[in-house]
Amino acid sequence: MFSIEIFTKSGFKDSRGGHVLADIVSLGFNCINKVGYCNLYLIDGKLLLNEAKLIASCLLSDKITESYNIAKCDGKDSNCSFNNNVVASKTMIEVLYKKGVTDTVSSSVIKAVKDLGINKDIKVKTGHRYYLSGKFSKTVLDNIACKLLANTLIQEYKIKSVK
Amino acid sequence: MKKVKVLILRTAGTNCDFETQNAFELCGASVERLHINFLVNNKNKILDYDILAFPGGFSYGDDIASGKILANEIKNKFGSQVEKFALSGRPIIGICNGFQVLVKMGLLPESELFEQVSTLSYNDSNKFECRWVYLKTEQKSNCIWTKNLASVISLPVAHGEGKFIPKDKELLSKLNKDNQVVFRYSTKDGKEPEYPLCPNGSAENIAGICNKKGNIFGLMPHPERYIFPLQHPCRESSGSEYGWGKIIFQNAVNAVK
Repeated sequence: MFSIEIFTKSGFKDSRGGHVLADIVSLGFNCINKVGYCNLYLIDGKLLLNEAKLIASCLLSDKITESYNIAKCDGKDSNCSFNNNVVASKTMIEVLYKKGVTDTVSSSVIKAVKDLGINKDIKVKTGHRYYLSGKFSKTVLDNIACKLLANTLIQEYKIKSVK
Repeated sequence: MKKVKVLILRTAGTNCDFETQNAFELCGASVERLHINFLVNNKNKILDYDILAFPGGFSYGDDIASGKILANEIKNKFGSQVEKFALSGRPIIGICNGFQVLVKMGLLPESELFEQVSTLSYNDSNKFECRWVYLKTEQKSNCIWTKNLASVISLPVAHGEGKFIPKDKELLSKLNKDNQVVFRYSTKDGKEPEYPLCPNGSAENIAGICNKKGNIFGLMPHPERYIFPLQHPCRESSGSEYGWGKIIFQNAVNAVK
């Protein structure tokens, strides 16, 4: 399984990250300094690394404003790639759909990968990563994740330490 | 007189194809709306038409990024036919989602290069922006679609990813120097706007561009939604019995006749 993170290149505005930070502040948490946002794609299948790179560069990221990180995972957890370029951060909140919930973007990605000429059976999960910098407790992070970043009826979140 | 043939390419999520068809038909053209799957199996069919239109909508649900999946699909499956059509000088228009497709496919702004050199990214507000805006028409532009327009016109926008970003400052200077900037967001009197009059934070308030030759035109606002004065919130017209959008479609039809 490959984990592909798509993030905004430096010099371009990370609108989503900026607005999430504003929403966190409006919830009453002033302990977060910065939020960096990444789209996350977990692609399972017999892909080669160069195929994963092609998918990341030609499909999942915008050539002008975005860049990507690719890491190979063990298939159980996406806890394999941490991008220190996004924000100088030691904490990240990852949001993914719960098992059984339809991931509509995943079907589009599978179709688009075939359009690229990669005719392999793949499974795709999509999600979001929020890199946070500041001084905060786990309780604060749980609050932010539950109230703002994840719809816990259909999504699950994990708080992870950035390596 | 020759009947101008227009092809409107549609796919899953396209939702402005009927309005675009109505606009072209009102201008005297004969229009066909074809699904991309038909064109994939009939690649050369596209060359039977005089004008090609990429309408607005939410192709493939705007998944990954607006217009990205459709742009890749067209380029990979019948890109050479689209390129041939473009380089023949026949008019092409991309409206909103269609503009995103043209830019991400690389037909705009440098159609000869056919590589993506600019993008339409998330609005600065990070929200879907839907309202009427004022557009300053660049009078020096050689775009065949925008002749006979007033210096400031009004059209509606409706998009979440409309912030035009060129790859570097050199490209932006080149677009200005070659008169490829067609529309800029403005105030009612043509001055530099602030949000919300500029809905997305585009570089130099760019709302629409064309290629160097002037036959390929992409814009975020929706001209097909301002054909009749009745569609305008104040019932304004362009000075005739129609809205400004009608003139844009009529220009292309007249250019082909």
